[in-house]
Amino acid sequence: MIQIQHVSLWYDKTHKALDDVSESIRRGQTVVICGPSGSGKSSLLRCINGLERFQEGRVVVDGVSVRQPGTDIHKLRAEIGMVFQHFELYPHMTVMQNITLAPMRVRKMSRAVAEKKAMALLERVGIPEKASRFPEELSGGQKQRVAIARALAMEPKIMLFDEPTSALDPEMIKEVLDVMTDLAREGMTMVVVTHEMGFARGVADRIVFMSQAKIVETGTGSDFSSARKTKGPASFWNGS
Amino acid sequence: MDLDVVSDNFAFMMGGLGLTVQLAVITIVCGLMLGTLLALARLSSRVWLYWPATAYIHFFRGLPLILVIFWLYFLFPVITGKPMQAFAAAIVSFIVFEAAYFAEIIRAGIQSIPEGQSMAARASGLTGYQTVRYVILPQALRNMVPALVTQSVVIFQDTSLAYVIGLREFLRRVNLVDAREARSVELYLFAGAVYFAICSAGSLASQRLEKRRERMSLA
Repeated sequence: MIQIQHVSLWYDKTHKALDDVSESIRRGQTVVICGPSGSGKSSLLRCINGLERFQEGRVVVDGVSVRQPGTDIHKLRAEIGMVFQHFELYPHMTVMQNITLAPMRVRKMSRAVAEKKAMALLERVGIPEKASRFPEELSGGQKQRVAIARALAMEPKIMLFDEPTSALDPEMIKEVLDVMTDLAREGMTMVVVTHEMGFARGVADRIVFMSQAKIVETGTGSDFSSARKTKGPASFWNGS
Repeated sequence: MDLDVVSDNFAFMMGGLGLTVQLAVITIVCGLMLGTLLALARLSSRVWLYWPATAYIHFFRGLPLILVIFWLYFLFPVITGKPMQAFAAAIVSFIVFEAAYFAEIIRAGIQSIPEGQSMAARASGLTGYQTVRYVILPQALRNMVPALVTQSVVIFQDTSLAYVIGLREFLRRVNLVDAREARSVELYLFAGAVYFAICSAGSLASQRLEKRRERMSLA
C-alpha cells in the first residue's frame, strides 16, 4: 500500500530531516513510528501525502508515485486522511462545516449527502450533539475526534496520525486512542506517530523506531516490550 | 465667524461629496481586489510572481500619492498621445497606489494564520486556490478588519488630493467657494468637520464590528 524507498529530505543544506529511509506498509496494517523529537517522524509522515518535498527517493502510495510530475497530488491526498497534533480544525467553521468542506469541494458531494455522512461519523466518534458548535467550544479530546471524523469523511484508504494525543490532557487521551483502536481493528491502513507505547504494543502490527533522521529499528509490539533492556531504543522506552 | 457662507454654499459644496465618496468607494473595492492579488503573489513561492509583486509594492510605497496622480495625468498623455480625463487619472492613481498598502495589510493577515491550517486543508485534497479561498482568507480577513478600516479612512481623506488635477470633489468645491467669498476660517473648519464626522463614523462602525465579533467568538 505504501512504499517508501530511499527517501532523503533536507530542510536546508545543513539540516537533513530524513536520511535514506525505506519502509513498506501493507494494506490494513497499523504501523507506529516513534523516536525522540527531531528524529524525522513527522517529516516521514508528511512525505507520504506529499506535504514534504523530499529531494531523493520515491514514495509510492497505492501504486501512485507521490513526487512524480504527472501525479495529481490533490487526488492522491483525498485518499489519505491526516490528523495533526494540534487538531488544526478550521476555527471559523462549525464542526459540521469542518467535516463537510473537503467532501463537498474535493469530492463534489452535495451538501445533503455530505452532512448526512458527517452526522454518521460524529455518531461514530461519540459527539453528534456538537455538530453545530465551533471548535473553540470543544475540549481537546473532542476536537481531535472531530479531526478524525473530518479525515474519515473523505473515505480515505490510509490514515496518517501525527502525534494525535501529544497535545491532550491525560484524561482525554483514552477517548482518542479508543477511536483509533477501533479504526485499526476495522482494517484501516494507518501510520501513527506517537509516544503512546500502550497503543503501539496493543494495536500496531509493526513499530518503527527513528533516531537522527534514520530508521534504526523495526519490530512488532512484543519485540519492543521484550527488548527493553537492549541498547538504542531502550533509553527512550524508559523515558529518558 | 460668519457661518452664513457655509449655509449659503452648502448644497454646492456637499455636491462634491458625492464625487469624493465615489472616488473612495471605487478605490477601496478595486484596491482591495488588486491588493489581494498582489499579496498572494508576494506570498507565492513562484519567483515570477513574487518579484514583480514585491517590486510593485516597494515602488508605490516609496512615492507620494500626489506624484503618482501627476504622472498619470501629465506624463501618460505624453507617452500615449491621448489626453487623460481627470477622473480616470485620479481613480487609476488611487487604485494602483492604495493597492500596494492593501497588499501589505492582506499579506500580514494571511501570514498571521498558523501554517498548520493550510497544511490540514491541503492534506484533505483541497487545491492551493481552495485552501486560500475557504480556509485562509476568511480567517485572515477577520484579523485584518481593523487595519483595513484604518486604511479605508485614509483613502477617504486622500481623495482630496484629486483637487490638484482640477477634479471638483468636496475639498475642491470648498476651495472654489473660498476663492469667491474669501472666508477661509469658516469654510475650512466646515470642511474639517465633514471629513472628521465621516471618518469617525467609519472608525466607530469598525469598532462595533470588532466588538460584535469578539462577543460571537466568546459565545
